Amino acid sequence: MTVNVVYFSIMAFSFRNIMTIFRRAAYSKFNTLSGSELVPSISLLVPAYNEEVTVIENVKCLMTLNYPTYEVIVINDGSSDDTLGVLRREFGLDPLPNPEMRNSIDCQTINAVYHNPQYPHLYVIDKPNGGKADSLNAGINLSHYPLISSIDADSLLEKDALIRMARMYMENPEETVAIGGDVRIANGCVIENGAVKEVSLPRKMWPMFQAVEYLKAFLGGRIGWSSINGLIIVSGAFGLFRKDYVIAVGGYRGGYPGEDMNIIIKLHRYMLENKLKYRIAFCPEAVCWTQAPDTYRILSNQRKRWGRGNLKNMIENYDMAFNPKYKVMGLLTMPYNIIFEALNPYFKITGLLALIGYTMLDMTHWRVLAVFWLINFLSGYLLSVGALLLEELAFKRFNKISDLARMMFYSAIKFFGYAQLGGLWRIQGHIQYLRNNNSWGTMTRQSWQEKSDTAKSA
Amino acid sequence: MMPNTTLESRQEQTSLYQEIEQSVKETGLEVSGVLFISCAGGPSYMETQVRGILESQPGLTYKVWGGEEPGSFFILLPGQTLDAVHFQGLLLKQRLQEIIADFDPRMTLASFPEQGELTQQVLIQMEDSVKHHASGEIHIFSREEVQASRSRILIVEGDATVREFLEIRLQMQGYETAVADNGLSALDLMESWKPDLVLTELNLYGIDGLPYIHHIQQLNVAEAPKIVVLTEQRVEQTISLCFQNGVDDYITKPFSPVELDARIRRCIH
Repeated sequence: MTVNVVYFSIMAFSFRNIMTIFRRAAYSKFNTLSGSELVPSISLLVPAYNEEVTVIENVKCLMTLNYPTYEVIVINDGSSDDTLGVLRREFGLDPLPNPEMRNSIDCQTINAVYHNPQYPHLYVIDKPNGGKADSLNAGINLSHYPLISSIDADSLLEKDALIRMARMYMENPEETVAIGGDVRIANGCVIENGAVKEVSLPRKMWPMFQAVEYLKAFLGGRIGWSSINGLIIVSGAFGLFRKDYVIAVGGYRGGYPGEDMNIIIKLHRYMLENKLKYRIAFCPEAVCWTQAPDTYRILSNQRKRWGRGNLKNMIENYDMAFNPKYKVMGLLTMPYNIIFEALNPYFKITGLLALIGYTMLDMTHWRVLAVFWLINFLSGYLLSVGALLLEELAFKRFNKISDLARMMFYSAIKFFGYAQLGGLWRIQGHIQYLRNNNSWGTMTRQSWQEKSDTAKSA
Repeated sequence: MMPNTTLESRQEQTSLYQEIEQSVKETGLEVSGVLFISCAGGPSYMETQVRGILESQPGLTYKVWGGEEPGSFFILLPGQTLDAVHFQGLLLKQRLQEIIADFDPRMTLASFPEQGELTQQVLIQMEDSVKHHASGEIHIFSREEVQASRSRILIVEGDATVREFLEIRLQMQGYETAVADNGLSALDLMESWKPDLVLTELNLYGIDGLPYIHHIQQLNVAEAPKIVVLTEQRVEQTISLCFQNGVDDYITKPFSPVELDARIRRCIH
């Protein structure tokens, strides 16, 4: 019950903000900003590990953003495939004789920095394998601009995404330390020239569940959390940070997944401990399209990794929970994440066991059970539909009625199996953590071109 | 709604130019003179007067069409060289001024193929040139003007509205136009269609601005097209980099269409 109350109040915050967001999306003149000198410059950091299939297209997409001054820094994290080779051939890159690397943050020593004066805004760092966090730190050391943005190499940014984020940053440049973007599932969309041409839902089951899930998490949840400044995560796929504060908190933490959540917790901690006014915002109109895993094996690996990272972050920062010193973060966000996110599956299991026990002992009636279950289901469903409503109120990205109907359908059947699987994966992640199994798991990529072809032919 | 109405009237006009072009072909003669006369503000019986004057000369074949504005006509004089057409123009002007005192008809004339190839664009340009010439002198439509009016402009622009606006506007100036909405298909078009000038946005899908400019100059064509950049990008460094890379002109949005016309005209001549 409490879970639902919290969910609903967060959703209420989301609704309160959605109209402002809608107006901002519709009327703000970000276009006139997109060529202005006054917009702060951004360094895009793109960690790439074994991405030879998609990397060219993604870099091309990132180089054609609607933004006045920015640079793209690709960090080749010791790929075992030809990621560096394809990049060098495509853009005619040569090693720089004296790369200017600052040592603001510790990271492994790099092999070389590649550059081509014909593409003045592209740099490629080659370094031995050290994980995503280490790559990002290396990128920060090379970056030339005051803002940094981390982007997954398997994601595509919308042309206006960066300028919309910068617009939000410019509303309050003193206090804004980080901004998260909206991540959507690109499976099923038609992609051309590194841009999403036609929005459509995935046809396969696993991506479809995730599409519903992401929509709920980003629109239903994060808009609300950001309005009370209690955002605990800015997606690693697309976020904007102030470089000075990222350096102040020591950069990204390596060695464990969940570095995206970790950096946000550290930022909260740093700002609150130093009694600085700050905000960590969420910008739902800045959209990043990502490839969702479409097989059970890859999806479960991803979720176990998330579960592991989440648990690690919670254990590392348990002192923040229920500590009034950390305000919203300590009193609301951390407890919420520990109890309802990290421990959620255990509650479910004990609840289920208790129910079974009650039934066995004949202490309860099936009607009570049914009512109980129905309340649970309906409130969960209402949350999903609410997120969908937010989406349709503000963005209207899905134009086909059939797509909406499919979303509603999947929101409902999510509760039969998929939600339970989510819990299972999380527990497996926790077990991995306890066993010290720290593998990243496999993640196979498909070229955007192939994806788009299959989307068209279907 | 504005673009639609201009489009419609333009289509109506196009059929007129097609008709004239067709008639020229039908005469089967090697030479044909074209005279455009505008008697704006003149009396309504102008057309009968003009026809009367032409009729009074034995052995002269002619054909008359009403132009876009009332009181303006295209006169086709098959088989007439430039001298002869010029003579007809002077004669017409003199006779008309005899009939109506203080009357000042505007004329432009040309003979083909003496001054180039007769195309619909040339006809449009002739009609337009009358408006631009302030003096009452008969304007001889020069070879250069014929050349200029056949210039091909490739419009590369991601925004559909701006693209359509530019296309209509440049077509009305008498240019031949083609459009592309992304950098890659633009580069293809530059090789296959060979435009004289490329009017392009820098922020395009498919390829980054500076490498794109560089690509244009490396194209496998006899003469690289002139490049006019029309963009939202106002960062000084980018602008100077563009000029360093051989861009002919750089205009930032929001732009003045009149200024754009002037800059394009300067680049082409």
